[in-house]
Amino acid sequence: QAQTTAPQSFEEDLVLRQKNNQTKADDKNAPTTVQSERLWGRPERFIHFENDVEVVKGATTMNADKATYRFLEDEVDAEGKVSLQRNGDCYKGDSARIQLDSSSGNVINPVYKLLRNNAQGKAEKIDFIDEERSLIHQGTYSTCDGLDPDWYLRAETLDLDTGLDKGIAGKSVLYFLGTPILATPSLTFPLSGARHSGFLPPVFGASSKGGAEFALPYYFNIAPNRDLTLYPKVISRRGLQLGAEGRYLGETYRGETSLEGLNNDRVTNTNRYALTSVHQQQLLPELALNWNLNYASDDNYPSDFSNSITKTSQRLLLRDINFTYTGSFWNLNLRASNYQVLQDYAAPIARPYDRLPQLQFHAEQHDVKGFDWSADAMLTRFWHPTQVRGDRLVLNPQVSFPMVEPGYFVVPKVSLHATTYQLSNIVPGQDPNFHRVVPTFSVDSGLVFERQSTLLGKEVTQTLEPRLFYVRTPYREQSAFPNFDSGVADFNFAQIFSENRFTGQDRIGDANQITAALVSRYIEMDGEERLKLALGQRFYFNTQRVTLDNVNSPSRSDLLLAASGKVSPTLSADAALQLNQSTHQSVQASYGIRWQPEVKKILNLSYRLQRDTLKQLDISGQWPIANRWYAVGRSNYSLMDKRVVDGLVGFEYKADCWSLRFLAQRFAVNSTNNNSGFSIQLELNGLARLGIGNNPIEALKRNISGYQPISER
Amino acid sequence: CGFALRGPVSFPFKSIYIGLSDGSSLGGELKRQIRANGQTQITAEAKDAEVILDVLSETREKQILSLNSQGRVREYNLLYNFRFRLRDAVGKEYLEPVTVQLKRTITFNEAQVLAKESEEALLYRDMQSDLVQQIMRRLSVVKMDQ
Repeated sequence: QAQTTAPQSFEEDLVLRQKNNQTKADDKNAPTTVQSERLWGRPERFIHFENDVEVVKGATTMNADKATYRFLEDEVDAEGKVSLQRNGDCYKGDSARIQLDSSSGNVINPVYKLLRNNAQGKAEKIDFIDEERSLIHQGTYSTCDGLDPDWYLRAETLDLDTGLDKGIAGKSVLYFLGTPILATPSLTFPLSGARHSGFLPPVFGASSKGGAEFALPYYFNIAPNRDLTLYPKVISRRGLQLGAEGRYLGETYRGETSLEGLNNDRVTNTNRYALTSVHQQQLLPELALNWNLNYASDDNYPSDFSNSITKTSQRLLLRDINFTYTGSFWNLNLRASNYQVLQDYAAPIARPYDRLPQLQFHAEQHDVKGFDWSADAMLTRFWHPTQVRGDRLVLNPQVSFPMVEPGYFVVPKVSLHATTYQLSNIVPGQDPNFHRVVPTFSVDSGLVFERQSTLLGKEVTQTLEPRLFYVRTPYREQSAFPNFDSGVADFNFAQIFSENRFTGQDRIGDANQITAALVSRYIEMDGEERLKLALGQRFYFNTQRVTLDNVNSPSRSDLLLAASGKVSPTLSADAALQLNQSTHQSVQASYGIRWQPEVKKILNLSYRLQRDTLKQLDISGQWPIANRWYAVGRSNYSLMDKRVVDGLVGFEYKADCWSLRFLAQRFAVNSTNNNSGFSIQLELNGLARLGIGNNPIEALKRNISGYQPISER
Repeated sequence: CGFALRGPVSFPFKSIYIGLSDGSSLGGELKRQIRANGQTQITAEAKDAEVILDVLSETREKQILSLNSQGRVREYNLLYNFRFRLRDAVGKEYLEPVTVQLKRTITFNEAQVLAKESEEALLYRDMQSDLVQQIMRRLSVVKMDQ
């Protein structure tokens, strides 16, 4: 009841199938040649061959001590050290009979070895149905080399179909290190790794909230571009959860939808379910439809049912549907969007505004007599159950005249930001109408110097790029304006070269400021950037008066420092620092090192600070600790809370034809709870990943940046 | 100290077709940079160009970078992957497929989710400018006589 790997993408699968089909040989019309030391027979009836007999027809070669060819049946009977090779697959047995034209026949007491996936075993008899199908009776199947395989399947019948690339075992028992570990009435597995319908490995598990769990997913390979996976799962304390995930791909559309639910949860006595659906479709050459819909029946759904932090950390579920019409240099977008908030009552979240609907027009053209221009118009109806609602229209035309030469650039730019609001659900006496028109003038300019240099013995081009950016935006009183979608932007290298210190459209910051930055890059001879050093600072000529949520914008002219690059082929590092110039304290900092001396051997170390919000040390790695043994781990430690926010530790063992992994995980799911779990996975190459707990490979890839599965070569 | 103002980059080809639509702002920025060097023609049709810049993939990805002690995301990594190659009209490759990956960090707070949407867009634009420079560097060292 198993299949090797999780279904791959449709594109990868197609490539794999094409590759498999290329290896087939057509030997229908090939001549038959026979060699031996002695022969006798009766013309047109039979020929008997003896001593070192070799029969060759097309891709089939048979060697034996004795053989008889019968003309009428076009058949060869062979006995004594029979060795048969078909399309690279090898069978050795006591005797064999092959019908040469149809390639059907049988081998008695064979040992076999298949070329494609190194599968091998022995049997009482193998029947060749045709060129592609063979039926193994009372046989074994393994991908391990040698007479005493670490694991094997013993089956009453094994139906191998290289055309469909599929193996079906009848009543069978799986042995691992001599011990039977799984008995099954039927089992399907792929012969090469392409996707097939069949059961995926069962998952046993336990969680603190649900008790013991057992899931047995089934995969339907409906068509090369459509599939469906069903996830029935018994959760001992809650009941039976059913899940389905469908994927599809067409010429003009693609998407993925999953739905899961549990009727009458025995813990909460409610029906609980969740939906995720992503879809993209080109309705007309110019018109596209996209949706991204997420829904959960209640606030605790993800933390009760999900064992993955990528889901439990999402407390805002997006629901978005939009149409985009694309013209020659413009596009029009109509969108409806809101977020479902999964509240954590110990740390409540403010509900974001719904945009029902939002109509956006964007046009831009480059190099119109040297000018670049763009125009945006945005009409949005913001809705909130309790707060001020409103319709907002924003018009934002921009014109710039970029003067770009290889050694320098100057880009003067003017833009106008016009906004009008019509509010509802307001406090009596409050003005429902607001208008604002703000012009902005900016000049971005820079020089690029170069020189030839060396970096750690390698020839490089070093650049020196000073840049100056001036912005002037007059002050407009906007303290009474609503805040639908604005926030103070992070202070970083992208932000210091943008005109507005706020993101969104509700606040346009007054500015009379200049930003100076210096960047130096080291570029290798093939054009790859090896190292980048940057330094930037903003200088204010005014006191900023526009505020958001009545919090004064700090009149900061913090210093930004950043460095990133490859110190050596195995060592890379990056650092970013925001320094407050008045207190000389770091406001934000991050330092990271990655060392990867060889494949499957990596160490990551990083430190991240956001003053008063976050202070974390993060260590992760994958490291060989003994012959065939690897240790894996991650610790994301919060220095502020003195607590591991996200931790994982495990060991992996890699044998030639199987691997085994143990993994323990613990992460925070809300302000009061942690989720901890344990998983064991046995991966039998070419057969299945059998496991207890959740898919550890997914957890390892997410937690350890640069992790490489040990079963991959 | 040896630094000199960067001169025009002489590309080893005389004309190029950029496989990005007219509406693409990445395409617009890249074409401007190529034109600024003055010596290379940008053709409107792929068949007229000596070399073709083939965009193989352009993907955006958002990864969780850090969580607070309540298990909520406080930082994301934004990844921008761009894969391209350079070939001529008959398919001869002058530059094997290369991937350029750019990365930015963005802080996150549930209360500001709408504001963060537009901040993400700003960071992607910033990465795009960086990407254009990196593509230019790669194009200028292409060997045409392979």
